[in-house]
Parts: sequence; C-alpha cells; structure tokens
Amino acid sequence: MKRIALALACLAAWGAGAQPPATGKAVGSAKAPASTANPPVKLKAVGSDKAPITIEVFSDFECPACKGLHDGTLPLLVKDYVVKGKVYLIYRDYPLPMHKYSRLAASYACAAARIGRYAEVADALFLHQSVWSVDGQVEQTVDKVLTRAEAAKVHETFTDPSITAEIQHDIELGKAAGINQTPTMIVRHNGVPYPLPGGAVNYDLLRSFLDHLLVK
Amino acid sequence: MTMARYLRLILRIALGAVFAYAAWLKLKEPWQLFAMAIDGYKLLPHWAVILVARTLPTVELLLGLLLIAGPWLRYSSALLTLILAVFFGLMVRSYALGMHNDCGCFGGGDPISPHTLLRDGALLAGALTLTALAWLAPCARRSNTTSSSSPAPDRDSAPAQ
Repeated sequence: MKRIALALACLAAWGAGAQPPATGKAVGSAKAPASTANPPVKLKAVGSDKAPITIEVFSDFECPACKGLHDGTLPLLVKDYVVKGKVYLIYRDYPLPMHKYSRLAASYACAAARIGRYAEVADALFLHQSVWSVDGQVEQTVDKVLTRAEAAKVHETFTDPSITAEIQHDIELGKAAGINQTPTMIVRHNGVPYPLPGGAVNYDLLRSFLDHLLVK
Repeated sequence: MTMARYLRLILRIALGAVFAYAAWLKLKEPWQLFAMAIDGYKLLPHWAVILVARTLPTVELLLGLLLIAGPWLRYSSALLTLILAVFFGLMVRSYALGMHNDCGCFGGGDPISPHTLLRDGALLAGALTLTALAWLAPCARRSNTTSSSSPAPDRDSAPAQ
C-alpha cells in the first residue's frame, strides 16, 4: 500500500519543476468542460507526463472494486511501469451518486492533493473504507496520515469551490469518455484511447496489453 | 419464394452481419482487451481466457461470413445458436450475481444491463428461428418438388441435403 506513496515521493522530485503542468485537456478523451476549471493534473498523478502511455483511473473511494484495484493492481503498475517511466498514471475522482460519502472523501483527497499528500490520503481512505463508508467519519480517516498543520490546511480547503469544480471536472471527463462504472481505466497510447473493461482488471492481461503497446 | 424462405434469408443475412461486425470490432483491437472482458466473467482459468480471446473473434467472423454466403446453413445456424446460448447464459448469470462486468460482445464499454440482455436475447431468438427454419425447410421443399418439374435451387441448404 505504501508503494504508491513512495513512488509519488520519488517521482515528484524528478517530474516537477522544469516541465509545465499537464492539463486534463492533454489526456482527456474529450475537451474539458468550459464551465469548470482545468486543474493541474500533476497533483493527482504519478510518473512522468512524457511517458509513452498514459493511464487515467476513474475511481470512487467508496467502491469496493476500486479498493481492489487500488490495493492490488495499481502498486504493481507503479512498480513495473510508472517508476520506469513507461506509464503516466492519473487519478480521476468519479464519486457515484449511490455512495453517500464518496464525494466528501474525494473532496478531502483533492484538498490533500493541493499539499502534495493525495497518495497518502487515498491509501488511507481505501484502507479504512469499510469504516468511514458506514459511519461517515471521513475526516478522522484523513487526519490519521497528516500532520496537524497539514490536516488544518486540508480542513480549510476541502469545501473550497475550486475543489468542487475539480471533482466535477473529473466527472465530466468520465462522462464524456462514456464511463458508466468504477473503477474504469482508460489507456492512451499515441493519442489512441483504449477504455478497459470496467471493474478490477487482471494484472497479467494488463501487463501483456501494455507491453504490446510499448513495442508497437 | 415462401414467407419462410424470406424470413430465413433475412435472418441469416442479419445475424451473419451482426456476427461479422462484432468480430471485426474485436479483431481491430489488441486481443488483450477482449481477454479482459472474458476474464470479467470470472469463470475461465487464465490459459482458457487467452485461448478464447485469441480464437473466438476469428470463429465469429468465419461464422458470420458463412451465414451471409449461405452454404451449410443447418450447421452454421446450429453453431450460431449454440454460441449465442452460451453468451446469453453467461450474461444472465453475471447480471443475476450483480457482477457489473463488461459484456464483451461488441468491443469495450458495454456493461451487462437489461438492454444488453434484451439485445442478446433477441439475437438468440433469431438464431433459434433460423435454425428451426434451416432444418425444417428442406422437408417442406422435398414434398413440393414432387409436384414440380423444375424446382428453384435453394442455396441456403444445398450442401446439407
């Protein structure tokens, strides 16, 4: 579970700074909605935006299958492809209306992204999903992985309209891509989008697919 | 041409075109995408998922073209019905279990829903009708030919006689 956080920390130094922040427009399958802001993708991304393959993960913090993908497949993907500069992994928040607290969780995660702590908060939310999805205590879950100062900043900003707009931006991108369930991954190579079947994906098949794209 | 022969012609062209189109959608994409859809049913071991993903689209294409061309209609329609019955059964199972996986019928982005069940159910009904017509029609024609000196050739089932 810590692998994503570790990889994010390692890659932040490598990827940040010189390169201009990538935008949703560059990777989204449709134009960014005019009504919403175009938030910097790097805050919720891992790896180099120069990688030959981009994968967008549309996920809901309260969805059990998303937890399966986050805990099982994504750490392997980060280790085998993201760290090696082959894949640029972008997280998209896609809270489903049927989940009572998933939008709140996404707001906290996006607020944490603003202070560079998205991966840690996402890990904690998925780890304790069975708790906060029942009692709604999202705040306590988030606070577990933040310092007091960081937690104060997150509590200050999670209701910010720009956070709401950021989540809405992700939802609009997902809708434009025809997403109807979570988790869904969209793999993009040479400008061609390949939406993967929704739900948890077998890692051996995903690896075979990515290797196929990389030798193309 | 009787009504039954019109219906048979329409069904074999329509179902053949649908199968050929579905196969083309799968063949134009990397096979791993179809393999992921098959894996979503959580039924087959990994080696079987790969085998089915690499062979089924070609079988679908050949079957579709065979249906459109017309020969061996009895056997091609029976195979079509068998394949569709298996597909439909698996889809009903997944839907009943609330698995929310992709159908995999026409490429990606097609989760199993009442709409997909209705669509594949209609295809299965069409295939069953075609199979029944293909197996029953030659008997009817044989009885007709006894009173006709020059029966019209029936390409649909000629090799099956």
